[in-house]
Amino acid sequence: MAQPFPYTYYACDCFDSNTGADEEERTFDPRSPRADYALYPLEHLLYCEDCLRIRCPRCTIEETLNWYCPSCLFEVPSSVVKSDGNRCTRNCFNCPVCTSPLSVHSVENPEAPSAAGGPYILACSYCHWSTAETGIEFEKHTGIHSQLSRVANGGTPIPTQKERDKERDRRCKELDDQRASRHSVRPPPEDSPAADTATGGEAVQRDERFSNLSAFYKTQTDAQTPSNLFAAHDMSFSSPSTYSRIMNLYSTTSRNKKRDKPPPMREAAAELEGLSIHDPASDAAAIERLKKDGWSSTLSPAQKLAQIDPHVQFEDELRPVATLLCTKRSKRCRSCRHILSKPESKITSTRYKIKLLALNHIPRISIRALPSPTAQQPLPLAPGPTSSQPSPFNYNNLRQGIPTNFVIHLSNPLFDPVRVTLATPSTTPGKVHSKVTILCPQFEIGANTDVWDDALSSSSSSAAPVNKGTVVDSDGAIEPGKPYDRGRNWTSVVIEVVPGFLDQSIVSSTTDQGPDGELEEDDDVVEIPIFVRLEFEADINAEERGLGDSRGSKGEKETREEAFWTVVGAGRIARV
Amino acid sequence: MSRPAARKAAPKGEYIETDSGNKVSRRAAITGTANITLGGRTVIMADVQLRGDLHPTRSAPSQSGRETTPISINIGRCTVISTGSVIKPPARISRGQVHYYPMKIGDNVFVGPNSTISAISISSHVHIGANVTIQPFAIIKENVKILPHAVVPTNMVIASGSVVGGQPARIVGEVGEGWGAGGGGAGGGLGVGGGGEEKWVEGGDLRELVRSIK
Repeated sequence: MAQPFPYTYYACDCFDSNTGADEEERTFDPRSPRADYALYPLEHLLYCEDCLRIRCPRCTIEETLNWYCPSCLFEVPSSVVKSDGNRCTRNCFNCPVCTSPLSVHSVENPEAPSAAGGPYILACSYCHWSTAETGIEFEKHTGIHSQLSRVANGGTPIPTQKERDKERDRRCKELDDQRASRHSVRPPPEDSPAADTATGGEAVQRDERFSNLSAFYKTQTDAQTPSNLFAAHDMSFSSPSTYSRIMNLYSTTSRNKKRDKPPPMREAAAELEGLSIHDPASDAAAIERLKKDGWSSTLSPAQKLAQIDPHVQFEDELRPVATLLCTKRSKRCRSCRHILSKPESKITSTRYKIKLLALNHIPRISIRALPSPTAQQPLPLAPGPTSSQPSPFNYNNLRQGIPTNFVIHLSNPLFDPVRVTLATPSTTPGKVHSKVTILCPQFEIGANTDVWDDALSSSSSSAAPVNKGTVVDSDGAIEPGKPYDRGRNWTSVVIEVVPGFLDQSIVSSTTDQGPDGELEEDDDVVEIPIFVRLEFEADINAEERGLGDSRGSKGEKETREEAFWTVVGAGRIARV
Repeated sequence: MSRPAARKAAPKGEYIETDSGNKVSRRAAITGTANITLGGRTVIMADVQLRGDLHPTRSAPSQSGRETTPISINIGRCTVISTGSVIKPPARISRGQVHYYPMKIGDNVFVGPNSTISAISISSHVHIGANVTIQPFAIIKENVKILPHAVVPTNMVIASGSVVGGQPARIVGEVGEGWGAGGGGAGGGLGVGGGGEEKWVEGGDLRELVRSIK
C-alpha cells in the first residue's frame, strides 16, 4: 500500500530463507522483485515469542474462525458456506457495473398502488444501474436472493432444481420410449440421443447444464455393473472413481461406495446429459450486436469476472452480484504452530484474545527530515504546533547532489535497554545512486520503563530539558559519532543522504538506448535499506513468566540478539 | 472580517477551547450549534462546515416532553476534523419531503482535509484520508482506513478492519493487527505508518495530536 513519505518498511527474513544465498555477504535490495513480498509496515507484523522471530503474513498460517457478510454483518455458518457458497444469501448485492452496494427501491405505480408496495428493483445509487435494465422486478422487498434465483434476465422464470430434475426425467423417459419403439435391442451406452433432441433453440442455461451434467454422472456412477471387464486401470480419465471424486468435490452429498474394477464411462452425449454444443449462430449474433450497439454494450474484464457466469458478454446479461463473505482468521506461526493472533469470534467485536505484535518487540523506526542548518528554523522535535512551522519539508522534492540530513528515530518497546547497530550500503541500490551515511551507527536506547513516568513527564515535556543540539555546533555542522537526541526509551541519530543525479541516467539512456538505462516509475525514490541489529539483556524465559515479572529483580539474564532489514523511504528526487 | 484592525488589537488564538477540551476553530462554519454535540477533546479545524441545522424534522416518538432538541451531528472524543471538510447529515426524500437523519461519529476518528462526510455512522478509530467523499447513509465500522480520494457510495457498509479506496470505494485490504497500537509506550516521535514526525498513529489514540493543535 502506497504510503506518503517518509515511510518505513520492515523486511521479514522468511523471504530469503529459500534462496540459499549467503546472508552475511548480501545487502538487502528493496528494488528486487522478491522484496515486494518481504516488506511490510510494522503494524502488519507479528512476533513469535517462541521462535523469537518476526512473523509476516507469509510465514503465518491462517485459520478461518467464521464467515460473515461484510454488508449485513451476519455470521454465516460454515455448513451454509459449504452448501451455498461464499456469498451472502440475504439481501446483500453489489452492482455488477461499479461494485457499490445495491439497494431495494419500490417502483410502485402511484395510480395503481399494489398491496405489497411493489414491484421492487435493485438499484445502484452510485452509477444508477438497476435490475430494471435487465428486466428483473421483485414482488417483495425481502428475500431478494431467493427471488432472484427464480427469475432470469428479462423476467422469465428459472425452473427450480426440482422442476429441472423432473423435467429431465420426463424427457429421458420420452426418449427411452421413442428408442424402445424404434430399436429392439441395443445397449444404452452405444446410442447417442443427441440427434433426437431437437428441442428449443435457446442455449441451455449454465445452471441447467450443470445440473444435467451432475445428474448424468450420478446415473453413470450408479449404473455400474461389477461384471463389466473393461476397467483395466482405475485412474484413467473417464473412470468412475475419478468421476465420483469430482462429484464429491462439487456436490454436498458424498457417496463413498466401494467398487472394484468399475467400467469406463461414456461422456455426456446429449443436451439432457449436460452436453453443450457450440452454436456458431450465437457468435454471429454477438457480432451483429456489436455492430449495432458498439463496444459500450460490452463488459469490462473486471465486470465479467465478478459475474457468477464469467462468459457473459453484454450489458443486458448482467446479474446482481451477491456480496462475497469475509472471514475472521486466527494466525499461527508456521514453524512452531503457536497462535500469534486470535480475534474474538463474535462478528461485532474487534478485540483479540491473543495478539502478539511485532510492535511490542522490535523498535519502531521512523525517519524525518532535519531542516537544513542554513534555514534558521527551530528544531521541529520540540512538541509544539506543527501548523505554525513556516513550511513543512517537501519530501517529494529532494534536490540532486545536495546533502540532506534526516533524523532516524528509534523507540524501544522493550523493558530492557537495547544496544543498536545500524548499517547501510554506502549507496542506495537501484538506478539512481544516492550516497547514504549514518553519522552515528552505534548507540543505545533506554528501556521502556513505567508508562506512568512517561505520562507524568510528557505533561511537562514542553519544558523538559532535552539534550538535543549538543551535537549541532554553532555552524550547524553535525558531529558524527553522537546520537542527535535521546529520551526515555528512544534515541534519534542523523543520517546524511546525498540524492543521486537523475540526469546521468537519463543522458545515458538516451545515448545507450538500452532498456536498462531508462528511468522507470519510482526510480527517483530514495529508498534506503538499513540493517538493524539489536542486542539486549533479557530475562531468561521472561515470556513464560509474563511481562510483569520480567522487570523484577531476578538476576538471571541472557544476551539476546535480533537483526533485520528495514527500508526507509526518504523522499523523491526532484527533476530539475 | 469587516474590522481587521480590531482583530489585530485583541490577538486571539486560532481555536476556542471549551470546558471539555474541544477545540473549535474560529474560522469554522458551524450552523445549528444546538444540534451538535462534541464529546470532548475534539478538534474542528478552520473552514470546516458542520451542518447542524439539517436536523431531523420528523417528530421522533419521544417518550418525554416534545421539547427535546433534535441531535443532528454527534461527534465523540479526540476526533479531529481537518480543514475544509464538510460534515452534513444524510437526507432521504420520503413522500415528497426531505428528511435528515442524525449522524454519529465515534472516538479517535481522523477526517482528512477537504473531505465530505454524510455517513450515518462512523465508529471509533477510523482514519479518513484527504479529499474523501462519504455519500449518505454509509456505515463505517471500527478500525477502518479510507484512502485519500475515495468515494464511499451510498448505503455501503464497511466492516471493521478494512482498508477501502477507489471510486466507488471497495475493500482493497485489511489493516494489520497492529492498527492503532501506539507502540512501546508512546516514546515520542511516533509517526504515521512509522515514518512521520507526528506523535500519533493512524487509527490510534489521537490525544497527542489534539494536544499538539493550538
